[in-house]
Amino acid sequence: MSDHAAIEEHAVLWRARQEEPGWSADDQAALEAWLEESTAHRVAWLRVEYGWRKVGRLASLRSPNAPAAEPQRRPPARLWRPAALAASLAAAVGLGSLALTGGFLHKAYVTEVGGHATVPLADGTKIELNTDTKVRADLEKTQRTVWLDRGEAYFEVAHDASRPFVVYAGERKVTVLGTKFSVRRDHNRVIVAVADGRVRVEEVKQKKPPTVVTRGDTVIAEPAATLVTPKSIERVESELAWRRGLLEFDKATLGDATEEVNRYNRKKLVVEDPQAAAIRITGSFEAENIDAFARLLRQAFGLNVQEDGDEIRISS
Amino acid sequence: MVDAQRLDDWFLSEVMPLEPALMRFLRRNWRNTSEIADLRQELYMKLYDAGRAGLPTQTRAFVFRAARNLLINRALREQVVSIELVADLEALDVADASAGPERQTAARQELRRLQVGLDRLPPRCREVVVLRRIEGLSQREVAGRLGVGEDTVEKQMVYGMRALIDFMLGGSGKIRRGPAARPAKAGEL
Repeated sequence: MSDHAAIEEHAVLWRARQEEPGWSADDQAALEAWLEESTAHRVAWLRVEYGWRKVGRLASLRSPNAPAAEPQRRPPARLWRPAALAASLAAAVGLGSLALTGGFLHKAYVTEVGGHATVPLADGTKIELNTDTKVRADLEKTQRTVWLDRGEAYFEVAHDASRPFVVYAGERKVTVLGTKFSVRRDHNRVIVAVADGRVRVEEVKQKKPPTVVTRGDTVIAEPAATLVTPKSIERVESELAWRRGLLEFDKATLGDATEEVNRYNRKKLVVEDPQAAAIRITGSFEAENIDAFARLLRQAFGLNVQEDGDEIRISS
Repeated sequence: MVDAQRLDDWFLSEVMPLEPALMRFLRRNWRNTSEIADLRQELYMKLYDAGRAGLPTQTRAFVFRAARNLLINRALREQVVSIELVADLEALDVADASAGPERQTAARQELRRLQVGLDRLPPRCREVVVLRRIEGLSQREVAGRLGVGEDTVEKQMVYGMRALIDFMLGGSGKIRRGPAARPAKAGEL
């Protein structure tokens, strides 16, 4: 099925060679013959042609008055360096999704209900805040500390062996041994999902031995218990769908799903009877499109949907 | 029959600009992200073949209708009909009515995207792409400048082009290396 990747690579190779000074009429004829072979070749070629022209057009726009004329000297992580911090924050604030609140000690980053923002820290770490979230960060010489005061955040931690990276979420402490993971806080429960690398989860008071979790695992920690559920990496990614503005459900009950949808919206869904709450749903949804979600329940399950001020009541 | 040149022109000027919106549509409605590039390719083939018989007057509506039919057929075949398909059929009518705003994407924004796309490439690969595409050096000159073989330059160039094209068309810019590679498990989160 996936020979399209091979065809695409082939088309790109043709395109690259066509730009070479030695490109001849014979080469051109060979290319045309290849294109005639199948529609698959033809459309792959046209797509490459389109995309590459776009790059070329922009590149020519860019070179005469480009602010930095030599991009090859620029380190790849440029966007997350401190200089870019103020600008990205300003942009995020402009969108109304992120507020930078000054504290005496730590920088705090806040999103509102339905908000979503990415915060680059000065060490190169990237924190992505989900809806209704507050984090504070403190970067010291010997340790990097983040407090998740509420909500959910996804972390891509810049590697720095000399400065451990620790996230405090309520009674739990998450020490980063790897790179990419999310932490979510619901009242007393803390959920850690690891997309890449390893993290150590322990109680702040350290009464019990720590739990080390790796890629694809999820930890659900409550005051009395810590549960590790080894899931597939796909599951973890599905749980991180909020980063794309989506919620993904796999046979979730409507009760659980509405609770999840409500996290992102001021308007709230209220499921009125247990039969309706027990319906299982699968699919992906735009987190903030609560009206579409409600409409769907009516269409797909024939449920009654009634709007009542800031509530949408659902019953069977 | 539509002649070949007109068909290609139609595809380049009418179909390709829809790719970012189309990919959003596919991503939203198809759970298995590793199959999306295949779906796109299959759709493009169908569109191109359909275009031979006659070009549609409303390309946008034509493309999205074909995309929807492709998804429905696939879903039925794989028996994974999920309710989000129902949702989007309704949204689709709205999308059809409005002319695509992505065509007017400001050049500035695209320029910025190009910069980000370049920054995302591995350093050596970025260097090759910049020298060849932006500074206009030939493969041999690039190889000489960087002190590597022409084969290496070509390989880097192909990888960089694929990633950059994908990124400029609204993708993640992450390309599986090598045609035989397994579908990427961890795509863009």
